[in-house]
Amino acid sequence: MAHIPDGFLSAPVIAGTALASAGALAIAARRSRDSLGGQEAPLLGATTAFVFAAQMLNFPLGAGVSAHLLGSVLVATLVGPWAGMLVIFAVVLVQALLFQDGGVAALGANTLNLAVIGVGGGYAIYRWVLALVGVGPRRVISAAAVAAYVSALLVGLAAAVELALSHTLPFETAVLAIVGSHALVGFFEAALTGALLGLVYRTQPGLVANQVAPSGAERGWAYALAGVSLLVAVFAAYAASSRPDAFEAAIQRLGIEDTALTHLAGPFADYAAPIGGPWVAAALGVALVFALGWSLARFMAHVGRRT
Amino acid sequence: MSFRHLDQFAQVSSPITALAPALRVLGTVVVALGAATLRLGAWPQLATLAGLVLVLAAVARIPLRTLLLRMLGPLVFVLFASVALLFLVPGEVVARVWWIDLTDNGLLRFGSALGRAFTALAAAVILVSTTTFPEIVQALRELRLPHAVTTALGLAYRFLYVIVDELERLQRAARSRNAGAGAAKRRRLLVSVVAAVLRRALVRSERTHRAMLARGFHGEIISLHRSRVDARSIMLLALLGLVVGAVTLSSYLAR
Repeated sequence: MAHIPDGFLSAPVIAGTALASAGALAIAARRSRDSLGGQEAPLLGATTAFVFAAQMLNFPLGAGVSAHLLGSVLVATLVGPWAGMLVIFAVVLVQALLFQDGGVAALGANTLNLAVIGVGGGYAIYRWVLALVGVGPRRVISAAAVAAYVSALLVGLAAAVELALSHTLPFETAVLAIVGSHALVGFFEAALTGALLGLVYRTQPGLVANQVAPSGAERGWAYALAGVSLLVAVFAAYAASSRPDAFEAAIQRLGIEDTALTHLAGPFADYAAPIGGPWVAAALGVALVFALGWSLARFMAHVGRRT
Repeated sequence: MSFRHLDQFAQVSSPITALAPALRVLGTVVVALGAATLRLGAWPQLATLAGLVLVLAAVARIPLRTLLLRMLGPLVFVLFASVALLFLVPGEVVARVWWIDLTDNGLLRFGSALGRAFTALAAAVILVSTTTFPEIVQALRELRLPHAVTTALGLAYRFLYVIVDELERLQRAARSRNAGAGAAKRRRLLVSVVAAVLRRALVRSERTHRAMLARGFHGEIISLHRSRVDARSIMLLALLGLVVGAVTLSSYLAR
């Protein structure tokens, strides 16, 4: 549910998200004027039209399933985050008014999710990864792919929080349903963002904005943030709740928990490592997730350069 | 490619098209907000707002069949999204379909979501059917949306036809050469096509900017449209706001 329709949000959430979006867009309008220096009109017009047209194309994913581009991180890497927010807002606005894709009353929430959090959050991740690994064609494409994936997750999480705050769905159910689906669609978004950026980068690298190498201070902050994130991730994995999550609760409610089959014995079942206990299991889990994510990003960068 | 079919009632003379476009946009927002903020389970008030929108469609001379047909696509999407509420929202089980329990709260949420979405969608369809895209952009300008956004929207409207035509041309060229057989090859082909269009769009924006500068552009697009906001339009909008506000408020007072 990337575009929330009307009827799903409560009055306070509608008002709160509209105010937050209006504030963010006002800042974005001022900052984009400064960064684009007068060339903003045609660039924003062309990018808006491109995102709109690209979202009309459905890519076959197999098994009869198809998906379309969200474009938040792609746009941010091309025109910068502030102008990117305005572009995605323009697309969301046209989709709501002209094509009834996303509600008119939910416009504030959809703008906050897709334009502010999708573009802003995605771009922050993009710069963070670049600060960690440095600037170069492959690294830029990898960073954009990682950021596109995280951006899709953030958009889903924001929608889930809004639906839960509106008492439309319980929080755990909303997260499971929406973030879960976005976690799958995110792979497509990451691959497509990487591939498109790779093609643009190969033919006209000048079109990819913001390739300024991060300063020493930026890199320092990025490494510090990465260290803190790893510590939090290890602690969170260690402190993982033993209570059933939403999925397990649903299984219990349906009364089919006894029918679960274990086809493969996990090496760290219930977060217990053979040596070192739960702390080692948590640290190894985090390291494995990081390695998997990084390998995927490198693979997407490779695909992007080959396509 | 053309979106002309969307605003086919914009040239039809009616009390709705006589209103200033900015007030038509505001009216749509008022109706959508009124429906969205109704108390859950306020069925008479929801029916009143839905009825009001259908009356407005008749006043705009939009046939009911056309209105419903245009709403069909978005309504199907809303239906898919809201069906999940029937069994995901906790509450007292009132029915069982196969092995799925339907709850009273789920039914309440489902009905409300569908009813509110119907009302807001109908209002949006009336706006789009009676207002051309340039009029909507002008209305957004009058409503003080960021200048960069309205300018981008105005130019995007012109770019969009060129870009979509370009997409179709590239896809037709690929098809005529039998390129993209099979899902994997088709995916790769679509990525190449979209990347080519993206590159051309960005290059075209540079050319357009130079052309605009040559014609005296200095950061602001000047519109020849005159604002049509008059006292009568403002009074009609205020009346609509009062009616919708009263209906919404009554849903909370009549508990």
